[in-house]
Amino acid sequence: MSETRLIKSIKDVPREDLYTSGHRTCAGCGAALGYRILLKAAGPKTVVLGPTGCMYVANGHQFLSSPYAVPWYHTQLGAGGAAGVGTAAAFRALMMKGKRKKEDVNVIVYGGDGGTSDMGFSGLSMAMSYDYRRFLYVMYDNESYANTGIQASSTTPWGASTTFTPSGKVRRIGNPRMKKNVALIIAAHPGVKYVATASLYPPLDFFNKAKKALEANGPAFVHLLVPCPKGWFFDPKYTVDLSKRALETGLWILWEYQDGEFNLNYKPEPRKNVKDYLRMQKRFEHLTEDQINEVERMTREEWEYWKEMDKQKKIILPWISPPWA
Amino acid sequence: MSGTKTVSRAITKALPKKNLWTGTRAIAEAVKLVDVDVIAAYPIRPYTGVMNSLAKMLADGEFMAEIIVADSEHSQFEIAKHASAVGARTFVGSSGVGLAYAAEPIIVTALGQLPVVAIAGCRALDDPGNFGMEWNDVLMFRDHGWLMSWAKDPQEALDMTLVAYRVSEDHTVLLPHFVSVDGAAITHISTLVEPPDKDKVGEFLPPYRPPYPLDPAYGPVTKAQHIAPSLIGPELRKVIDNSVAKSRDVIKRAWRAYSKLSGREYPIFIECLGMDDAEIALVAMGAYTKDVMHVARKLRQQGVKAGVVRLRYFRPFPNEELTEALKNVKAVGVVDFSFAYGSPNSSGVLFNDIRSTLYESTSRPTLMDFMFVGGREPSIEHFEQAFRLLKKSANRGSSERQVVWPTLKGESS
Repeated sequence: MSETRLIKSIKDVPREDLYTSGHRTCAGCGAALGYRILLKAAGPKTVVLGPTGCMYVANGHQFLSSPYAVPWYHTQLGAGGAAGVGTAAAFRALMMKGKRKKEDVNVIVYGGDGGTSDMGFSGLSMAMSYDYRRFLYVMYDNESYANTGIQASSTTPWGASTTFTPSGKVRRIGNPRMKKNVALIIAAHPGVKYVATASLYPPLDFFNKAKKALEANGPAFVHLLVPCPKGWFFDPKYTVDLSKRALETGLWILWEYQDGEFNLNYKPEPRKNVKDYLRMQKRFEHLTEDQINEVERMTREEWEYWKEMDKQKKIILPWISPPWA
Repeated sequence: MSGTKTVSRAITKALPKKNLWTGTRAIAEAVKLVDVDVIAAYPIRPYTGVMNSLAKMLADGEFMAEIIVADSEHSQFEIAKHASAVGARTFVGSSGVGLAYAAEPIIVTALGQLPVVAIAGCRALDDPGNFGMEWNDVLMFRDHGWLMSWAKDPQEALDMTLVAYRVSEDHTVLLPHFVSVDGAAITHISTLVEPPDKDKVGEFLPPYRPPYPLDPAYGPVTKAQHIAPSLIGPELRKVIDNSVAKSRDVIKRAWRAYSKLSGREYPIFIECLGMDDAEIALVAMGAYTKDVMHVARKLRQQGVKAGVVRLRYFRPFPNEELTEALKNVKAVGVVDFSFAYGSPNSSGVLFNDIRSTLYESTSRPTLMDFMFVGGREPSIEHFEQAFRLLKKSANRGSSERQVVWPTLKGESS
């Protein structure tokens, strides 16, 4: 296997876009930006499967136009993993039996956090247990069912106000559950070849991770945090800025796991107070100073685990006492 | 066990061209014959044996395919759907609540115009974990663009599977296909089965090529994009409707070609017994039709003008053929393994379609529905009783009761 060609400068990013115009995503949509970077990294010999979600609804609907310059097929909300496996299995079978020319074809699922971490979890787990090469599942995480009007998913952070977990007069807190760490669970699958987290900052990080994932010689998973102006309530111009702040405050950790080795890709030291991130978003505006301090405490405790993992190059499950303890 | 094997071997030896196969094994042999590329498996009784057989064939190198052991029926049908979109020939199947779990991908597979062939081992729906035979599992999807046929024995199950691929993959059709086999009564029964010659199957069934494969080698196809209903909603529905309508001719041509290939003469949409002069008739589908026909033959020997119509296809529904077959009959009964609570007269699904069909007929026979529901197996006596009640209805010119539950405890004739 040849060495993955990573890029070091923004100038090396291919000019050609395979996720192009013809969609109607919101201004400042993080998931759309992620799509663009992902397909630049993947190149034209790619099939993309899109489970129901923002990147299904907002990428079509109005004009019968398609933003995809590669083959793209919708799959049902909970079917990303199965659709990816079915597609990859077809290519392998057809090539193995001499019914199609042998060559590398990328199979990518770009699924949201609801369809992936909730409904599609079983199928995702199945998909990660097979050995299909050039098979990458990217979970774009805008921390809610955003296209249906911002309902909590199991990756919505503690305290966030959503339409199913609104902050009210009696129940003040908003979302009472803590964010599920999907990438760590995927890393527990013995056959998985590459697992990483990413966001839209630093600019080349996700591009290079997508490249590595596709060339990892087996199923790969990237958990991509994508700020959502509509669901998080912030000015669209801050999408990338919020990605950066999520890293600087330790609320989002950049890491990758390959061949049994864990590495942090970004170390927020000194780490900024979570306020820098939370106070930018109206979904957290109801949180009291005490509650924000609680988030800060949890983040501080968790960060110790990540540092230790980086030191040992091994995954350790972080355990932090929950806010209700 | 070993005794059965010895007997089976002895029979197989005596008839070298034929094999003693269960229904599930016969279907697996069909899947091998058509050289399927991708198989998605998940266990549920009674269809599971098909996948057991296929897994063993693949492990033994009898043919080549990717077999995915899925995490659920939902994934199973999604795998088949997406493999089919790329251009692979696919096979999948399930039973009972498994089909219910897979409802979402099953429905969109037809809308995606993907010729997935699925075996349904008919089984009652839960609760409780009823493993009796009922048709409501497959019939859940009767309105969604899947072609549906019912086999009567393992031989026909094999033949129907081969024909299903030819019909489904025809570019004027491109629809998925359920080959339904009655649970236990076909899936677990062994009979002599004669598979067709592999070379002849190759001629009968050309390689599958979707018109727009989801493969970068054929350019950037965007499939099933989200749309505003005002744009193409009704047109998409009509496309499927047209494809189902066109399948009728394709089915006819396919069976004619297959009869030639196999040397077995098959009726196409319906199989009739004694319908030239029948005054009373039972309409049935599937394995139990053999028992119904047995009873009808006995009655005919006694001078009773009894007839039987077996539907081989439920979708497309053979309304013309059925109307023609029943035009001189005074009383018609339906051997119905389905139910439709709260439907007109709270009768069965099959009955409701037959009643709608006969509304268009110039001669309207008296109708009765014999509902064998809940998985309790019927016996010869039940079918004799059904003919007796039909005879009474024919004499009276109307039926005393339109809906009868012959196997229900306390139900008297």
